Amino acid sequence: MHDIRYNEARDEFYVNNPFAQAVLTFRGGADGQEAPIRVIQGPKTKLISADTVEIDTTNNEIVVPQGDEVLVFPMMANGDVAPIRIVRGGAKMGWKSGGGVAVDPVHNLLVTDGTVEVEGEGWRTSYRGGRDSILVFDRTANGEVKPLRVIRGPKTGIQGIRQMQVLPKGGWIVITQITDGGIAEPEGTFVGVWSINDNGDVPPRWKIDGKGNNVMKKPRGVALDAKHKEVIVSDMRLNAVLTFYFPEIF
Amino acid sequence: MTQTDRRRSNPSRWLMVCLGGVVILSSVLLANGGLRFDLSSEGTDTGRKPTGYPQLVSVEPLPEVAMGGELCAPAPSPVRLAAALRQERLTAQSPSAAVADRRGSGALNRPPVRVIRDPYPTYSAVAVDPKNNEIVLQDENLFQLMVYDRLTNTPATARLSEPKRIISGHDTKVEFNCAIYIDPKTGDLYSVNNDTLDTMTVFSRNQRNNAHPARELSTPHRTYGIAVDEAREEMFLTVQDPPMVVVYNKYAKGQDKPLRVLRGNGTGLEDPHGIGLDTKNGWMFVANYGNVAAHPDGGGNSLPGRGYGEMLPGSGRYEPPSITVYPIQASGDTRPLRVIEGADTQLNWPAHISLDEEHGEVYVANDGTDAILVFRVTDSGNVAPARVLKGPKTQIQNPTGVYVDTVNNELVVANMGNHRATVYPRTAQGDTPPIRTIRTAADGTPALQIGNPGAVAYDSKRDELLVPN
Repeated sequence: MHDIRYNEARDEFYVNNPFAQAVLTFRGGADGQEAPIRVIQGPKTKLISADTVEIDTTNNEIVVPQGDEVLVFPMMANGDVAPIRIVRGGAKMGWKSGGGVAVDPVHNLLVTDGTVEVEGEGWRTSYRGGRDSILVFDRTANGEVKPLRVIRGPKTGIQGIRQMQVLPKGGWIVITQITDGGIAEPEGTFVGVWSINDNGDVPPRWKIDGKGNNVMKKPRGVALDAKHKEVIVSDMRLNAVLTFYFPEIF
Repeated sequence: MTQTDRRRSNPSRWLMVCLGGVVILSSVLLANGGLRFDLSSEGTDTGRKPTGYPQLVSVEPLPEVAMGGELCAPAPSPVRLAAALRQERLTAQSPSAAVADRRGSGALNRPPVRVIRDPYPTYSAVAVDPKNNEIVLQDENLFQLMVYDRLTNTPATARLSEPKRIISGHDTKVEFNCAIYIDPKTGDLYSVNNDTLDTMTVFSRNQRNNAHPARELSTPHRTYGIAVDEAREEMFLTVQDPPMVVVYNKYAKGQDKPLRVLRGNGTGLEDPHGIGLDTKNGWMFVANYGNVAAHPDGGGNSLPGRGYGEMLPGSGRYEPPSITVYPIQASGDTRPLRVIEGADTQLNWPAHISLDEEHGEVYVANDGTDAILVFRVTDSGNVAPARVLKGPKTQIQNPTGVYVDTVNNELVVANMGNHRATVYPRTAQGDTPPIRTIRTAADGTPALQIGNPGAVAYDSKRDELLVPN
């Protein structure tokens, strides 16, 4: 599983199963071999990878990016349910999602990572996985849509984002960057923070590098604990969960 | 100054953070480079009552960033996005980029305030070398191969047992090491990586510590199980997705291609894990978790392209866990000869399997039920295991590795759930205690079982962390 989200209002959590093309909803207190309370799966869903998932607790939606498109389902969807919106990119719109995803229900934004097509150069990317950009969309976008803003370029240091979060309070995008998962201990990993209003080749407002005293090596997951002003990171090289005090963004 | 006082002092500078529809927004203004919410007085009080639904939680100031009115603006033209995304132009034209540049990038030197990490090895797979009287265990927590004397038995009062040698470190290219095979002639160790590095590494008997592998083979992403037909010098690897069995020459290296591939919608391969060979009868056994989706090319005797894009949209489904049986030379979209599947089988996350050709039995590490299941090689359908080794005295917990040692008439189990490998008589069943235990942490030390944590979530209600593996 490459994503997990918790919904306090409904006391539920959501995970994905890419091999079975499913999004599963569990009770918040689920334990052991407990069955999910809802499963989105089937031909109408158009799910291909279901590798990552985000929830919008304000608008009660589940968001699943998969390559050239981002699928949006009702929060209560169960079974073989069609998406209520599909944000389409690909060659025509010039973007692809890498899989990282976050929703800002206050500023009505949908954020994903990925890459863009550069005119005359095609899908040129500094990262072999094509995950060299942060793409910001209107949350309610539907159909063929271009991003409102793209954070991309050498100053950003972006190459290989994984899990993402948005903190609407300050308008912050928080990401983990693993760079190349195919390297045991890659250079350039970090937890980075951008503004939802950033655009172009801008460095992160803050970052915690994956080296030295920061302990972190290969950050993959990220969660936010606003109450304690903490950023929680899962590290796949360390098989560990690291918690950083990060008052700057809360 | 209270929060309400501050809001009154400059209402246009405050942004309402709302998680639901309780608060009424009378208007939304986009002007002068700033986003302003004009709030009605109703519903903005700080007091909240639990409703079970999202509601206003706070009122906060807007960050000092230039907005330029671009928020939520529709895409202006059908011109290809690419033209608008040239980085030079973006940098020059974007006011927010300029703002960010002035602020600079703050790289924080900040250690974590808390770390959750299991400092002890966790065994994911096991193999026995009867010739050299050794047990080799894969530690998937700290990414190392650990070689023990076969008769090692950790005393109850001891904290742990020391291995004879360890292969571990950056240069070993060992990460998420999930399977092990020992060459019966040379004692070479074949180590399979499940994720990330996509490499199978081979180490000689003389290698230890942070050694470069003696040989490497690029393997498909999500390779899990390994078995070798020594007579034909063929090496079989399972791949979780796209589900397949890839067969290489035993001495394949580098970018060598497989000799054949068993892959296709008719194979019944469904998130395959363990693999075992019955060379006497010419059968191949594969353990399947049951997660599966269809692939548009139907299958074939070749490697597919990498990535999920190969799946047919919406074709995913859950099937019962199973053991599928094929002719040992099967390739392409070949249907299984037999399938062991159903409630009576007790299969639940069947991980590694081990074949006993001499006695005609298949041993299954059944992770989901803390058990070792034993089937006959001729079993088919919804059949009960011939033997089940399970219970508190067995010390079996989340077993993913199993090896039947027919030379010494023993059964060895690698337990992910409790920092130990356990050894039994080959025919043990029921709640039988182990005759030996190799423990890597003090008795009772919990195994955290954080493995390849791809994400994390914070349960704000319980103040708990959710970690998928």
